[in-house]
Amino acid sequence: MGTLSGALAVALGALGADDGAVAITANNIANVQTPGYSREQVNLAQNPPVQLGALQFGTGVSLEQTTHVRDTLLDFRLDQENQTASQLSAFLGPMNQVQTLFNEASGSGLQAPLTSFFNSFQQLSDNPSSSALREGVITSGQNLASSIRQDASNLQSLQGSADLGVQQSITQINTLTSEIASLNVQISGLVGAGQDAGTFIDQRTQLVQQLSGLIGISQTPAQNDSLTLSAANGQSLVVAGQSFALTTQINPQTGFHDVFAQDTDITSAITGGALAGQIQVRDQEIPSILSKLDTFSSGLASAVNAQSRAGFDANGNPGVNFFAIPATTSGAASSISVAISNPDLVAASSDGSIGSNGNAQALANLQNQTIVAGQTPANYYDGLVFQIGNDVSQANAEQTSVGLVQQQLQNQQGSISGVSLDEEAVNLIRYQSAYQASANVVSVINSLLSTVINMDTVLP
Amino acid sequence: MSIRVNPNVTPDLLQAIALDRQAQTTALQEISTGQQVNQLSDNPAAAADVVLSHIQSGQDDQFLQNASDLTSQLQTADSALNSVVTAVTQAISLGVEGANGTLNDSNRQAIAQQVSGILNQVLSLANQTYQGSYLFAGTATGTQPFALDSTQPDGVKYDGNNDLNTIEVSQGNAIQINVPGSQIFTNGSGDLFGALNGLITALQTNTNIGTAVTNLQTAFSQLTTQRVFYGNALQQLQSVQTFLNGDKLQVSTQENSLIGVDLAAASTNLAQSTTATNAILSATNQILTTMNLLDFLR
Repeated sequence: MGTLSGALAVALGALGADDGAVAITANNIANVQTPGYSREQVNLAQNPPVQLGALQFGTGVSLEQTTHVRDTLLDFRLDQENQTASQLSAFLGPMNQVQTLFNEASGSGLQAPLTSFFNSFQQLSDNPSSSALREGVITSGQNLASSIRQDASNLQSLQGSADLGVQQSITQINTLTSEIASLNVQISGLVGAGQDAGTFIDQRTQLVQQLSGLIGISQTPAQNDSLTLSAANGQSLVVAGQSFALTTQINPQTGFHDVFAQDTDITSAITGGALAGQIQVRDQEIPSILSKLDTFSSGLASAVNAQSRAGFDANGNPGVNFFAIPATTSGAASSISVAISNPDLVAASSDGSIGSNGNAQALANLQNQTIVAGQTPANYYDGLVFQIGNDVSQANAEQTSVGLVQQQLQNQQGSISGVSLDEEAVNLIRYQSAYQASANVVSVINSLLSTVINMDTVLP
Repeated sequence: MSIRVNPNVTPDLLQAIALDRQAQTTALQEISTGQQVNQLSDNPAAAADVVLSHIQSGQDDQFLQNASDLTSQLQTADSALNSVVTAVTQAISLGVEGANGTLNDSNRQAIAQQVSGILNQVLSLANQTYQGSYLFAGTATGTQPFALDSTQPDGVKYDGNNDLNTIEVSQGNAIQINVPGSQIFTNGSGDLFGALNGLITALQTNTNIGTAVTNLQTAFSQLTTQRVFYGNALQQLQSVQTFLNGDKLQVSTQENSLIGVDLAAASTNLAQSTTATNAILSATNQILTTMNLLDFLR
């Protein structure tokens, strides 16, 4: 049978439940700006009824385990986009500097010194005996060589910064994986004991998001909400409470740091995150540009040297090499220089007479000959400029589209997990009125009970 | 449950503001640089084409400078030859005068003296220099080409060579820029120095003056034939300069169409993006200061 004291217990239980609900709402409101926070949901459930004879009485309400509202799949998707976005931005950072080196639209780059160099021969052929014009050829040759060397050295220092970036990324990755491993332990412990680990899962989600900004990972949920993380090629990074640190070793060939996971070289297998972008710049993009610059320097210098040797200098002696370059193509750009300093040694003459301009003309005409890998110097250089511009432009376009996807996913995630103050306000009002109602019930029961207790005084 | 919208609108707002600001910066940069392509990645194909057009206009500039230098050089040579023509014309009339039988020996000696003076004048013109280089020495421009030498049959020694210089005056178009002195002054089909020396001897000895004058006339016509070269070359240079200036104009027009900014469009973009930025800023302010339900709780 229902008793007054039974009803009092029900009202008291309701007060407690509403109390808790208000506390949860307060926590949601408090965390409205907390990054990575997913809102908590109040779960109210009716208590099991009691059966008294033919009658069944409810026993009120109780507050159950709160749940954090999140879509794990959405988290995964966001992490993936994050990997791509971070890779692109790590790629674009140095590449924007590379394209500034070759920004022909603003006049930097090799076009101007290249044109001046061939023009100086053209001008010399006007008056081949002029030592001022001969000096001009040497000066413009030196300008061209130093511009090429400057570009090569800038590219190499960008490569060096990318290598430094790789090492920094590895350090951050190792810190994150060890933090994630220790969160795994806490989460599994709580979940194993049947408790809510939502707060820790929020933290771990945040860390995984940071990690995916650094390296491409795949995530596998494990027992008791633990999370297994591995690098894109399957090397484990975190398994339950254990994290596996990445290490680096200097590659003797390149002089840069290779990345190892448990003694396996995964440098070229890394697919996402800033690390992949840094490695892409360091190991592919800049080496490709440098090697083209080498081919350019070597082709140009060899042709100019051969033509110089075919002519005669101001004293009628056979011409000597104009440029000094290494015997191998590789490294040509970083060491090209002008081999002669005496203007008389410029081989302008084709017949040994000082007034002959035949060889100066032949040298000037090299600019229209296919002397660099089957192309004219201008066309070859042009191809390089296009390649750089195109690579950056493609990455830019990709970054824009990834950014849009990211934004959309974040919106979607926010619409599921984000704290809405309006919603919390509505809930607060609901719990407030429920609390007030239960409190009123208590006071009614109180008055009923006092009526019962004072029955003898009321009766005559 | 009702549809939930993302309660956190700040990232969207910030993104929108950033995009508008970027559009504003881009438009401003375009207007201030006058270029649509300010980085290679803005338009890789156009940026690459610009390299080629810069190279072409750089070459054109050099060709133009060469053409102007060459013009002075060829004009110097041509005017030297013009003086030679005048001098030789005078020598011919002196010869005709000397052939007149009424003259006595001392008259002829005086005429021979004048022709000898003309010979020296022609000799110094044949050794004409331009910026320190001998113009009529073939390619041996460092050595004085002509000197009197009585051991030579024609009385003059040629120390130059017979080589020619050619110069590219526009892409793929090379012209010859000199005629060796031997071809002008000691040509086998009309040796000017030989004829002048012959005339002097004929006047001094009063023998075969008529033949000597005829020889000089032959050499004179050879001289004018050779001189035509310089006139032609100068004319060619002039037409090349016209062509190069036209080509430069075309290259710069082309470059402008590749990377030049459309000022009207850029200004419109700037105005639009400024309006858009103001609008989003105002909207952001309104959204962020919108009250929520909590503000109404009492």
